[in-house]
Parts: sequence; C-alpha cells; structure tokens
Amino acid sequence: MPDNPFRPSANPEAETKYLIAAFISKAIATILALLIAIIWVGPFLLMVVTSLKPNAEFLRGPFAWPLAPNFDAYRKVWAGLDFPTLLGNSVLYSATGAALAVLLALVPAYGLSRFDIPGKKFIFGILLIGLMLPQQTVLIPLYTTLRTLHLLDTKIGLILVHGVYGMPMQILALRGFMTSIPKEIDKAAFIEGASDFQVFWKIILPLSIPGILVSYTLNFIAIWKEFVFSLVFLNNESNFPVTVGMLKLNSDRYMSAFNLPSAGLVISQIPIIILFLILYRKFAGGKLAGAVKG
Amino acid sequence: MENATVRNEKNAIHFALNHRFVTIFGVVLPLLLFAAFIGYPIVYTIYLSFFKWNGMAKIMRFIGLDNYAYLIHSQEFYLAVLNNIKWMLVSLCFPVSLGFLIAYGMRARIVYFTGLVRSAVFFPVTMSLVAAGLMFLLILNPAFGALNSLLRGVGLGFLVREWFGDYHIAIYTLAVIFGWAFTGLPMIFYYAGIGDIPKETLDAARIEGAGHFKIIRSVALPQLRPVTAVVVLLTIFESLKAFDLVVVLTKGAPFGATNVLGYLIYNESFWNSRFGYGACLSVAVLFLSTIAAAAVLRKVLKGAFDA
Repeated sequence: MPDNPFRPSANPEAETKYLIAAFISKAIATILALLIAIIWVGPFLLMVVTSLKPNAEFLRGPFAWPLAPNFDAYRKVWAGLDFPTLLGNSVLYSATGAALAVLLALVPAYGLSRFDIPGKKFIFGILLIGLMLPQQTVLIPLYTTLRTLHLLDTKIGLILVHGVYGMPMQILALRGFMTSIPKEIDKAAFIEGASDFQVFWKIILPLSIPGILVSYTLNFIAIWKEFVFSLVFLNNESNFPVTVGMLKLNSDRYMSAFNLPSAGLVISQIPIIILFLILYRKFAGGKLAGAVKG
Repeated sequence: MENATVRNEKNAIHFALNHRFVTIFGVVLPLLLFAAFIGYPIVYTIYLSFFKWNGMAKIMRFIGLDNYAYLIHSQEFYLAVLNNIKWMLVSLCFPVSLGFLIAYGMRARIVYFTGLVRSAVFFPVTMSLVAAGLMFLLILNPAFGALNSLLRGVGLGFLVREWFGDYHIAIYTLAVIFGWAFTGLPMIFYYAGIGDIPKETLDAARIEGAGHFKIIRSVALPQLRPVTAVVVLLTIFESLKAFDLVVVLTKGAPFGATNVLGYLIYNESFWNSRFGYGACLSVAVLFLSTIAAAAVLRKVLKGAFDA
C-alpha cells in the first residue's frame, strides 16, 4: 500500500517490525470494525428475517430462523396500509420537493461562488438560520399561512414547504461544488463578452451536473425521511407519505406478531436501498461532507 | 475588459445594475421566499407568544408575558429542557467520537473491509427515524424483543430492562437509538476531513514514532477543528429537533420522562390547542438554539463560511 500516509519509509528492520505490529493491530481493529458493522446493519437484517416468518413462528424467539418463510406479511401490510399510495406520495414529495429546492438554489449558488455580492456575510447568516432552524418552532405560523392560502392538507402546499426549506442546504452545497470549478474557464468567457446568464447557462450549469445529482439525491432522501411537516400539515390519508402512514403499524392490529411491522418497515426502506446501491460510491467518497464544507 | 470577480462592486446598486440576472434570481427571489416561509414564521411565532389563542377563533387575546410566566413555573418545561440536554450529551459523546474513530481507522488503514464498514454505518442515515423507531420498538420489546433475549442468552439477564417503560432509562434509550441512526454523518464528515489533511503532516508524525493516540491528539484533531465545529453544531441542532422517535415510541411517557421540547411544542399547540403557549415554547427553543449556535460559531467557525 504505497499510498498509505501513515506508513513510515524507514530502514528495512524497522519496516519488518512495523509490518508485524501493523498486522496484529489491524486484525484486532478489523474485528472491532466488523462488530460495529453488525450492530449497524444487524437490526435491519433481523427485521428482514422476522418479516418472512409466519405468525405461528413468532414464539420461537427473535433469532429463530424462519422454518416456512413466506411473503404473507408483505401481502397483508401492502394492502392494509395502502402502500402503493404511501410510496407514490413519498416519491412525489421527494422528487418534486428536491427538484424545487435545487432549482431555487442554482442561481444563488452561482452568484455566491462567482461574484462579490454586496452583503455576502448577511446572506450566509440567513442561510445558516434556514439550515439550523428547528422545524417545530415555525409549525404554527406555517400552519396558519398554509390555511389562509388554502394549501393546508394539499400536496402542493407540502412540496412548496419542502422546496423552500431544502433551499439553504442546496445553496451551500452547490456553491461549494461551483467554487471548485476553475475560475479561468468563465474568466475567458467574460472577457469574450458573455453575459452572466450565458456563463451560468453554457458553462457553470453543465459542469455542475455531478454536484447537482449528489445534492439532489441527498435532498430526496432528506424529504423521504421528513416527518414533522407531513404530520402537522396533512390530514387526509390519501396525502400521507410513508413516514406518517407507517405510524399505523404501531397498533395492536399490526403489533400482535412482529412479522407485519417488520414487513412494513422493510417496504418503506426498499426505495432508498435501491437509491443507496446505485449511488453508494458517491456517498462513500465523502462528497456530502465536501459539499457542505465548501 | 475587467474580470467580473475582480471588479470592485462594493456598491449594491452598481452590482444590481451590472448583474441583473444574478440579482433577481440569485438574491432577490431566494430572499423573498426566505422572508415568506422562514423569516415571517419566526417573527410571527415571537408575536404569537404574547397571545392566548386556540388556533381557530378569529380573536387572539393579548395577555402580555403571561405565557412566559407560566413557562417559567412549569415543571414540564424544565423536564423537557433537561431531557434535551441529556439527548444532546449522549449524541455529542457516542456518535461523534465513534464516527471519528471509524473514519480515522479507515483513513489510517488500520482496518480491512473499510468499504463494508463505511456503508454499514452510513446505512441508518438513509432510514427515516419513524422506520428506525418502529424497528427498535420490536427489538427492545421487554418480553419478545431481540435485545433482552440476547442478554438472557449470554447470561447478562440482570441487564434486562423495560427499555421504554423505565422512568430513568427511557430518555437514554431514545437518545442512543438516535445516536445509532446519526453516527454515519460524523463518520462521513471526518472521513472527508482526514482525507484533506496533507499527507506530509501525517507522514512526519509517523516517522517521528508517534502512536495513533498521539497522532489523533496532536495532529488530526487540531487540523480537524472546522470539521468538528460543523459536526458539533449539527449534533446540537439535531438534538434540539428531537421529535420523530418520541412520537413513534413513547409520546412522552412514562410520566413525561421522554418529553422533549419539540414534542412539547407539538403537543401543546396541536393537541391542547394552546397555540400561544406553543409559540412561547418555540421562542424558548429559538433562544436556546441561538445561544448554542453563537457559542460554537464564535469559538471555532470564524470565517469558515466566507472565502
């Protein structure tokens, strides 16, 4: 491993000694790390196993391997909670809410990455407020505002709120990405007499697509997980996203044997797992943190 | 022709005239939306905290500081603040330090299977807290749950608890579940941060014979101060937002032992129809978050967001 920054390039003797010590400590650390991995994915895998057990096997204990695995629990929960509607709504909110946030954030991110906008500090302060604000503190005014606009308990109202509340994070993330695009490229365009819009549209936007994809996905997942706004602003079950609809699983009707709630929560996670698998390398590479640190 | 980024445009009017596109769509539009959906609600919350209002009636009754007087004498409020502090301390200790150690372990190549460990720890970050809550409702079930039966199985039966029913433990159970779900974020932040430390710095420390503990303490942590600031800030605010797990798992029970500020606001406003008092609680939360943000920002984040 020549690119290991922690490895000394000393004399051969020290080298051997170092390698032996490194192997032992590496083995111990690896066991610990695998234990950590088990604690972090184990619960979900256990849920997958539990969801495949028929009712009768419930009393055999949580770790018993299913004797007659079947998808009955999935069938019951799928119909009982109306998962097609819930999943459809969640996809709609996440896809459009994140798209709105990105759309609103593109030009501000471009402006902040390229120009010395007067009051820059003030804008960053405002963005931080939007980023950090605990949602519960603005529930009441948002609730009354949406009610006056007749947007309470509507899909459009919720998408609008998600879009605007996703915007600060998107601005910071996209600005971070756009700052990393070499300034020489647009400098040349400006000298040729291109307008701000032309530079944005022809140069910055096409070059930002990888960054846009990452931050769009992160926003998608954030909205998929979102709970407070959906819980308060929606009343009609046909508008519920998965997070709110799933609350029903926590009732005697579904909790009697653990297979039904397990199946429900596995279903709720499947779309995200698919997304996670597709984009795993982008997340793992620390793009998220890189985007925020800017 | 001068370069746009170099041109001296301290004058706002000059800037607005020279860059109409950026000004309209990059500054004015987002600021208007921010004002309507974030700024106005904050101001309105403060305004509402001086009123008594059930949320429906046409008339809101001005009652001055009565809500605040009630708040100051409310046991429930102090219990909730205390619970948020416990939540915050657990979150600052376990997910942040563990996230750092995992990230360091991977960057220093002291573990194999780094990809596997990394995606395992990151996985719960993609999970909604409602789903995670339901999952642990099953796993921590006192009679049939996996954890208690595991403890009994390995002869640690004396550790078996009613994880959500025990007055003294319930809040820590929730905080640890939250920490479990949260660890992936500090890990990713530190993973990126350690990757940014110049290789020469770490090489030099290693050649001089510094152990991992020494490297962490004298090289990595000082270099990672901005990352730590972001992570700490994020953790504090996530702790103040604590809500989802409480709704799914305990609804504040037993006897308010898991009541946190976020849940108290929701409960008072939308269940007890005391919107004025709910707003007053919100102002308290805003106040606490401002203090926390100011403390952290002043100390470490100086200038991390300009440049």
